[in-house]
Amino acid sequence: MNDSPFVVVEGLHFSHGETDIFRGVDLSIPRGKITAIMGPSGTGKTTLLKLIGGQLVPDAGRILIDGQNVHELSRRALFRLRRRMGMLFQSGALFSDLDVYENVAFPLRVHTDLPDAMVRDVVLMKLQAVGLRGARHLMPSELSGGMARRVALARAMALDPELILYDEPFVGQDPISMGVLVQLIKRINEALGLTAVVVSHDIKETLSIADYVYVIADGQVMAHGTPENLDVDLDARVRQFVHGEPDGPVPFHYPAVDFFTDILSAGASR
Amino acid sequence: MIGWVQQLGRHGCDLLEALGRASIFLGLSAVGVPSREGWHLWLRQMHFVGVLSLAIVLVSGLFIGMVLALQGYTILVDFGAEQALGQMVALSLLRELAPVVGALLFAGRAGSALTAEIGLMKATEQLTSMEMIGIDPLRRVVAPRLWAGFVSLPLLTVGFSVVGIWGGYLVGVEWLGVFDGSYWGNMQSSVDFIADIGNGMVKSLVFALVVTWIAVFQGYDLIPTAEGISRATTRTVVYSSLAVLGLDFVLTALMFGELG
Amino acid sequence: MKRSKMMELGVGLFMLAGIVGLIFLGLRVSGLNLPGTGGGETFQLKANFANVGSLKPRARVTLAGVNVGRVVAIELDTEWYDAQVTLELDAELEGQLPRDTTASILTSGLLGEQYIGLSVGGDPDTLGDGDTIRDTQSALVLEELIQQFVSNMVSE
Repeated sequence: MNDSPFVVVEGLHFSHGETDIFRGVDLSIPRGKITAIMGPSGTGKTTLLKLIGGQLVPDAGRILIDGQNVHELSRRALFRLRRRMGMLFQSGALFSDLDVYENVAFPLRVHTDLPDAMVRDVVLMKLQAVGLRGARHLMPSELSGGMARRVALARAMALDPELILYDEPFVGQDPISMGVLVQLIKRINEALGLTAVVVSHDIKETLSIADYVYVIADGQVMAHGTPENLDVDLDARVRQFVHGEPDGPVPFHYPAVDFFTDILSAGASR
Repeated sequence: MIGWVQQLGRHGCDLLEALGRASIFLGLSAVGVPSREGWHLWLRQMHFVGVLSLAIVLVSGLFIGMVLALQGYTILVDFGAEQALGQMVALSLLRELAPVVGALLFAGRAGSALTAEIGLMKATEQLTSMEMIGIDPLRRVVAPRLWAGFVSLPLLTVGFSVVGIWGGYLVGVEWLGVFDGSYWGNMQSSVDFIADIGNGMVKSLVFALVVTWIAVFQGYDLIPTAEGISRATTRTVVYSSLAVLGLDFVLTALMFGELG
Repeated sequence: MKRSKMMELGVGLFMLAGIVGLIFLGLRVSGLNLPGTGGGETFQLKANFANVGSLKPRARVTLAGVNVGRVVAIELDTEWYDAQVTLELDAELEGQLPRDTTASILTSGLLGEQYIGLSVGGDPDTLGDGDTIRDTQSALVLEELIQQFVSNMVSE
């Protein structure tokens, strides 16, 4: 295994309509490690994953995955590259017309010619890994949020990808399923030696499993380092984020005119 | 004034852009490679789009045929021409009512459901996750629905005509007492297989393509929120109905315009 | 898997019903004759009329009120400046109609469609494929009738 980073992001610029989301982001995501990308809501973390997955095209800059520039690939080559990636969506994104078993079997059926018996073995193995082998006959609508996310994880792993992108895996989970997911992500990474990118704003959980951390705010990388020596106090915005202070450089108030002027301008429109 | 013209221009550009997107979309989805898997997906959609629409289409056809016979009889009997009832019922059904009303019902029953279904798949990131798994949702999700709609509607239209003509027979012959032989005889001497049934089928194929295309495109292109889905569903029904009625005039002018 | 079988069956029946419906439309509604079922055999006759009125292609041809064929084409005969109508008749009548058979354009009902009625004569010679009916009676044109009626009134 070589040491060159698996994913490299260089000088990434991206804007959505009028608003700039990224203004020159550089990242390098090492092979076989868990890299966390953190930042307040609305900093475009999900957008970053979509850019890496090739679903969005940057305005400037480039993204290399294992040396291939994602946005210069043909549609066919892009789909081939995506088979080497798995992505865990915030909502799970299970196919609502298929049951749990078929959801996990889906990537195998469309990308391989494995006989049914072998598909069954692989699916049961993956479901066993996430602890849901017993739920294989349930439909996605019958699953809880945490279970749906675990099934989605099993599906993302079905083809044994080299890279897994996790989009907010801990959002809206109760402490138990949060703990389960943290454990799973850590264990899968250790067992399979795959590269993982975790996008999250749950600081404690993320820091507990990440090997390397990037903090993004205002469209730029604010700080990066290993969880132990991430210098959170270098930048006021990072400090506010990591310590969860309600007010600071990221203001509590949405931009508005001065409160007194606003409230005293009686008779004005609302 | 200039602002108004500019606004018109902007709407024009938006419209052209949407049409272009929709055309590329149609091109990419229609060329799905047929496979065993694809066949199965198509079959499932045929069931959903075609078989489940059968009841509403047949019942409507029956009533429309019966009403046509009733109305036609009261007019024709004044001219002593009630033996032309079969001809009137069959021609109006085959040329106009079956393709048009069939397509309108289809847009309401199947088109809106297709839009909502695809829209919900988009809203729950199912389409995105399909792309990330390396499957083109245009082929996996859109193509089977497009083809199922394209095949279903002409079949439904045939059913509509048959049931409608039978309904006309029930009212005209069984109830109002038009002579059985002249109902069928007049019909047979005036209906031409190519000119009437064939053209009706061509209309129906065109409508099938347009309605299904609008439905799946609206689903695929919508803004993935609750409001976005409800708006897109409404748009599907409105646009399809307008397109069907407008195209019907154009097609009728092309097909029957010179028939005198 | 059982549900999927039911679904396949449903779709199969649906498509079958559609095709049967189309055949029904073809045979029963448009009176199409399947090739090779015997009823499709025909032969052609021509007839010249001074005026065909609103006779149209596909109008029926009757003999003693029975449908025996249909009008195939109506063309202008530039030699005589009258209308040449081509009739397609059932093959069983080939060589059966006397040479002095009359073809007249009749109207069903007061305002109904126009059709051709044949009435047989007594000539021992018969008409074969491609022959022309000499004895014809043009369509009644309502305006001419009224004109006659009015001029009769005036002359009284």
